[in-house]
Amino acid sequence: MRRKQIFGMAWENMKLRRLRTSLTTLGVVIGITAVIALASLGEGFRVTVTQRMEQGFELNVLTVIPGSLFAGPSRERFADENVQNITKIDGVEAATQVMQIGNVTIYNGDRKVQAFVATAVNFTDFIRVFPDRFTFETGAQPEQGRNDTIVIGYKVNHPNETTFAEAGDDVTLSLIKTEGTYPFIRSIIENHTFTVAGTLQKKGTPGLTNFDYWIFIPLDTARDIYETSESDLIFVKVSNPDDSERIAKDIEALFPPYRISILVPLTFIRQVDYIISLVQLFLTSIASISLLVAGIGIMNIMTVSVMERTREIGIMKAIGAKNLTILTMFLTEAALIGVLGGLVGVPTGYGLSYILSYGVSSFMGGQRQQDTVFQTPETQRAMVSPIFSVWWAVGAIIFGIIVCILFGLYPARKAAKLDPVKALRYE
Amino acid sequence: MPDSSVSYMTAILEARDVHKTYSLGKVLVSALRGITIEIEEGEFVAIFGPSGSGKSTLLHVLGGLDRPDKGNIYIDGINVSTLNDAKLAEVRLHKIGFVFQFFNLFPRLTALRNVELPLTLADVPEKESIQKAKDMLELVGLKDRMDHRPTELSGGEQQRVAIARALINEPKIILADEPTGNLDTTTGWEIVRLMKHLNEKKDQTFVVVTHDQSVAETANRMIHLKDGLIQAVKKGSGSVHP
Repeated sequence: MRRKQIFGMAWENMKLRRLRTSLTTLGVVIGITAVIALASLGEGFRVTVTQRMEQGFELNVLTVIPGSLFAGPSRERFADENVQNITKIDGVEAATQVMQIGNVTIYNGDRKVQAFVATAVNFTDFIRVFPDRFTFETGAQPEQGRNDTIVIGYKVNHPNETTFAEAGDDVTLSLIKTEGTYPFIRSIIENHTFTVAGTLQKKGTPGLTNFDYWIFIPLDTARDIYETSESDLIFVKVSNPDDSERIAKDIEALFPPYRISILVPLTFIRQVDYIISLVQLFLTSIASISLLVAGIGIMNIMTVSVMERTREIGIMKAIGAKNLTILTMFLTEAALIGVLGGLVGVPTGYGLSYILSYGVSSFMGGQRQQDTVFQTPETQRAMVSPIFSVWWAVGAIIFGIIVCILFGLYPARKAAKLDPVKALRYE
Repeated sequence: MPDSSVSYMTAILEARDVHKTYSLGKVLVSALRGITIEIEEGEFVAIFGPSGSGKSTLLHVLGGLDRPDKGNIYIDGINVSTLNDAKLAEVRLHKIGFVFQFFNLFPRLTALRNVELPLTLADVPEKESIQKAKDMLELVGLKDRMDHRPTELSGGEQQRVAIARALINEPKIILADEPTGNLDTTTGWEIVRLMKHLNEKKDQTFVVVTHDQSVAETANRMIHLKDGLIQAVKKGSGSVHP
């Protein structure tokens, strides 16, 4: 039978039973709406999270830390030679080592800020790795060669919305030092005076390195104080983030096995992205259950329809229609319901995802935003915008059609197998 | 009763010792109890008898709409008892045209689309099939009614549409089940005349089931059926009197 004719007849039959067709289609619409709404929201969520993470983790900066997740912490520390070797790796733009000093208290006259980590850096190298992160509220980058300068991060400098120090102030750092050898170790406190070269603007970059909470002193000075030539961390800037996994392997090869770990932001982001994709798929699968319910509705209605049209089926067979033709006629109706449901459900679902997104963001807006480490000024009022994916839309429509056809199969087969003589006698 | 051992090579339609039993609730009804007939090409045959004599069952079996429990049916030389459903549908599509007492037209389709339907089943291109259907409706005298739906047509007109539909694929055999049964006498005779006319003009074979003896007598041959058996085979007048 001609395809056009089959479509025409199916369409006519659907129009004839308009209310019934609409209600059956509504079931499919609801199913597809649910799938698309969740998929679009999920996609929006995934992209938002990934973007935030990309803002937070500088994708082009790898962090080399001592110790290994598998072999436990190690006493590995880094030397100048390590940094030089890393700099030689192809694709590495710059590398800088830092030393971290815990439990630091700073005094500026009678003002004090307690218990921060002081990071000892070579300012020139460090700024080469993090060029965008050093914008000064007061003062500027320390002059090269000076060993008594300090740079203070925004949060350290503004405790409870007060100001602690400005460029040019002399501040005192009280540093805890250990002396002696085990078990005869004692802690002593040493005070050192530094001149504030600059205070940093609020950057609030999330992730591991939020400079708002850091204070910076020259690496050489710290090494002199602690009588060491080693450091705790190495930051490596790569020219192309896509190479970062290969470069991480090259860096690992420079050290004995399992002595260091490398944080590769790209890998981390990929993992998170993968996990969110799984959650998205899971939620969408749950939503697709409603499509199965719609499928049962189709099966139910089509079974009734086959009974009502028994005589018609008998006539079709008498004039020479094959079982396959009858089967195709009914399956075409089921498939058309799927197509219709998809065409209505996709835009509805996308619309619903916006409504849900606004609902959620206005709910969130009613709460006071927590000023956490993971917040940046530009994303504070961010909401998850649903993202329309053509692939999800096409997938949902195809899935809808498949469900409709699968559930239409039983009644359609029943119709196809009708005995023509009995069907013709059917009143 | 014709001798079943004699082979009629010119037979277009043949039943050999056909039996058919069906169940009516819990009761088994022997509708056909060993029917052997041969119908030659171009013949106009009437099968008549009282209701319950097995006429309609015989017609269904002859047209490949139903399968005999025992015995064989040959349509244009093909033993259809051995065919599968799909092949049997092909035979019905190309070799048989059915006309029913209650017309059995599709109420939603126009006369033209009803007539065209078998051509669409046969995958004839639309342009050609529409033209053919128009020609066929003209032949049965419904040239200016072709865009009407069955509900807008009289009983006689509906039966003409049904006949046009039966003829559209140019089948060799037309099987009519009480074609005048649902019509008034005058209209009934018009339909009989139309069928006789087509039989003579197109040399198509007509097998008409009727309980009306006057209709049966217009045939070349009358097969009298009773209780699933052939009672008598008589020569008809071959012409329409009233």
